[in-house]
Amino acid sequence: MMDDLERQLGDALGRKEPSAGFEHRVLAAVERSKKRPWFSPRFQWAAAIAASLVMIAGVVRYREAEERAAGEAAKLKLELALKITSEKLQKIQDRVNQGNQE
Amino acid sequence: MKISTIAMACLALLPALSAQELKLPANLEKLGDRAREVVDVTLDGPLLQLAARFLSDKDPDEARAKKLVSGLKGIYVRSFTFDNRGEYDPADLEPLRAQLKSPGWSRIVGVRSRRDDNAEVYIKSEGDKIAGLAVIAAEPKELTVVQIVGPIQPEDLRDLGGRFGIPKVDLGKKNAKED
Repeated sequence: MMDDLERQLGDALGRKEPSAGFEHRVLAAVERSKKRPWFSPRFQWAAAIAASLVMIAGVVRYREAEERAAGEAAKLKLELALKITSEKLQKIQDRVNQGNQE
Repeated sequence: MKISTIAMACLALLPALSAQELKLPANLEKLGDRAREVVDVTLDGPLLQLAARFLSDKDPDEARAKKLVSGLKGIYVRSFTFDNRGEYDPADLEPLRAQLKSPGWSRIVGVRSRRDDNAEVYIKSEGDKIAGLAVIAAEPKELTVVQIVGPIQPEDLRDLGGRFGIPKVDLGKKNAKED
């Protein structure tokens, strides 16, 4: 039994010669990887489109934030204008009512 | 294109630049130098509509305000608060009153008191519709001029009662003087 195990281990761990043309295939693969750009034209397009989309989304969000800030400021101005107007109108109405009672 | 044609086109476009019909006299503009506090609100068409867009449709009060504002072309408020009495000359208001004597404008309320509190409300009519509202409130230490351009009903303002601290107002066709 021990002999059988030793033989199996010997087979598994023993030195094996590479198949024919292995070295050539490895060197050819290394050469190919040197010549090929690191990403394909298709990937370049996808990256460009993605970058454009991110840029557009950024501009849109910036515009939205800008418009929101302007809108909130305008709303505050509107509230102030309506408040002042109504206060004055209320005062005038009170005075008119007083005048009518006297 | 002839220069005269361009000039005429420019002149035709001028009124579209601002809906403000009343021009604040220069002497009133200068009051800002003496005033303790100046409120200057100019909300022209696009800015007014932008503000309206930020009023909620869900909140009933804001929705009412939005409806009121949606038809307006401009809201202009100029208010000066002074530390002391007599910082402005009531006669400075005359050029403004003169503008309000132009066709279409009519005074619906005028209040004058012994305490030098004078107030006037004017409306501008176009046919049977109200196309504008102006308020001049001249108090001893405060002067306020309001102009609202566009279709507005006193009832609309009354409907805003409670909103933005706006009390309910009922501007009937009263013209009272409290002397």
